[in-house]
Amino acid sequence: MMQWKIFTARTILLCIFFFSLLSKAQGTILSDDCDACHGIFPGMMEEAPPGEPQKFALQNLLCVNCHSSAGKDSIKILGGVKVPVVHNTMKPASLLAGGNFYYVATVLGDRKGHNVDGIASLDIKFRSNPPGYDIESDPSVKGYKVEKPLTCAGSNGCHGNRNVENPFVAIRGSHHADDTPLDGSTTARSYRYLKNTDKIKGVLGLEDQDWGQNSSFKKHNEYSPSMDNFCASCHGNFYRQDKIGKMSPWFRHPAGVLLPKTEEYANYNPEFPSPLNRPGIRMYSPDAPVARDPVPATPVETVEPGADIVFCLSCHLAHASPNDSMLRWDYDAITSGETGGGCLICHTGKTE
Amino acid sequence: MPYRENRIAKSKEQRAKSNVFYVLLILLYALCSVLFAGAVDAKMKGRCKDCHSMHADTPYPVLTKGGCVGCHGQLPNGTQNIITTGKARIPQVFHHMQNGDLAGGNFYYVADGYNPDYSKGHNVLGISQPESIPTMISPPGFIGNVVIPGGKGPVDWPEQQVLTCSGAWGCHGDRNIYDPYLSMYTAHHTHNGELDGSTVGKSYRFLYGIKGVEHPDWEYEATIDNHNGYKGDFNHNTIDTISYLCGECHGKFHPNPNLGGAKEGGFANFTLWVRHPADISFSTVHGGFAGSEYQDYVTYSLESPVAHFNPTGREKVVDADSILMCMSCHRAHASPYSDALRWDYSKISAEDMTREGCLICHTRKGGHQ
Repeated sequence: MMQWKIFTARTILLCIFFFSLLSKAQGTILSDDCDACHGIFPGMMEEAPPGEPQKFALQNLLCVNCHSSAGKDSIKILGGVKVPVVHNTMKPASLLAGGNFYYVATVLGDRKGHNVDGIASLDIKFRSNPPGYDIESDPSVKGYKVEKPLTCAGSNGCHGNRNVENPFVAIRGSHHADDTPLDGSTTARSYRYLKNTDKIKGVLGLEDQDWGQNSSFKKHNEYSPSMDNFCASCHGNFYRQDKIGKMSPWFRHPAGVLLPKTEEYANYNPEFPSPLNRPGIRMYSPDAPVARDPVPATPVETVEPGADIVFCLSCHLAHASPNDSMLRWDYDAITSGETGGGCLICHTGKTE
Repeated sequence: MPYRENRIAKSKEQRAKSNVFYVLLILLYALCSVLFAGAVDAKMKGRCKDCHSMHADTPYPVLTKGGCVGCHGQLPNGTQNIITTGKARIPQVFHHMQNGDLAGGNFYYVADGYNPDYSKGHNVLGISQPESIPTMISPPGFIGNVVIPGGKGPVDWPEQQVLTCSGAWGCHGDRNIYDPYLSMYTAHHTHNGELDGSTVGKSYRFLYGIKGVEHPDWEYEATIDNHNGYKGDFNHNTIDTISYLCGECHGKFHPNPNLGGAKEGGFANFTLWVRHPADISFSTVHGGFAGSEYQDYVTYSLESPVAHFNPTGREKVVDADSILMCMSCHRAHASPYSDALRWDYSKISAEDMTREGCLICHTRKGGHQ
């Protein structure tokens, strides 16, 4: 009888576990192999005297260690779970949507990306000062501390709660929390765990299951213009209207503006014709993506000038890229009056 | 001839014909490339980064590196009149190269900080302070509300209004638009075709509505058969001549009825003038061309150029159809001489035997007669 009860209880628990798996989005990490992530980095917890709380030993390095790889692959498997690699110590075979810190970690890599602590040393030119930082645009109560290095998460980082200084604490729990719907209500329910503070709605978006690896016009992230506000937290002068001008004319390249439906912009991504019987609609280019409001439920293959939005990541990768200014393309190689690509995906009138 | 040999012979003949055809095709292609290469090129060719900065610490309009003057006056004390950056060749309107002044002249002569003499040229924002003498509060000869391509010029010239490179208070771009940079929108990237004046980009030197032919080196080392081709029209019923552009601000000096007309300049053709005319041909001078002193201006002079109804930039001969224009005497930007003249007016005299300056046209006013 007892055995039957135990069997029944186990079956029910298994069912609950199984159905809870189905109800969770695939972004939430669910694995029965805790050690795969938590046991491979010894020293995660420092020894503490009895009665005192334990401290996390590696802090920012925990993020770096888990999301790095000594190989070329930019997605690795830990405990049966896909883990996006943001830092390959050898040249990555392919880039994820955020790029790869490999390029900033190389010699003379400062111009290639964000110099994140544990991956790259301080930027020789900017040190730890975010270019264009404007404290009024930073919703973090703690603010960015220039005397400290850039971190993955926390007040000096991008991910997690920026009101929390400790990078690990800032994001703790998010990997296992319910991440649907992606409505910006919690860190876990924010696009790529990008949520400045508790009081600020997190970044919205549609997360590609492979983090943008091998993205195409059919399969890609979908971005929200809330990404611009997020970038502006540390680079406010590149976003605030009083700093960039008001189209008449612009003083700095705008972000968070509609891709115009007139003039050269109407021919966005000129290498591909408009879809049949859909004049004014252009094909999506993963090399110069747009943001949309609202974020579509599935990736959209097209771009609608006049409705879709130019944003920071139209030109830049978030982490690092092979190109200066962490651009999606080699700015040095883009020449007006010649063939397209790069800037000329939008600025089609500057081609030959 | 046996069948096989016949076929071989025919085959050889066909191959020969085919070769000739391909050679002709290649020659045709080469010819087209030469003839039309300029017609399909964009005006501006070069890396975006050479002229633009996306998130500059000190930003300038249209994301430029320093605005108009920042690009076209990069090295005021430098000795380059054309700066090449990558594939971009940028004419310098403000430099210190000896004998390097381009067709428009050189703002160096009026530039603050470089021993300026404001009488020598236009006082443009970013280069010179406005002139404060009463006669220069507004452009000399200014007439308000005149017809300009696409609209009307400013009704008044406010006392505090500074001259700009472009826009309503400048020369370049669409003068119906106040903002200097918006008035030039897309011009630098417009495809070079015929300069028909239909857009700013398709106008001579981005002077909206003006026609002409541009010397590729802005007349640096120009020759008498390879120079700017200036548009002129002695009928005074068009607004596409280089002199009309000047008249948009200096209206009283142009005989077009839209501008000063007969009231300010005297009757247009075959008459005596009150002010020195512009946009008149030698064929329409008082007394006629035949037997006039202008007959002796025979070979095109880079010192005192003339305009043409259909300019080519290759005109070598000056004749009755050649047209006198503002640029025959003046530089557009500034010159080493007062009134932005091409020569030192104070040294031109009726006893002069050299036939320089005014005497290039007025051949019998010198000491020759």
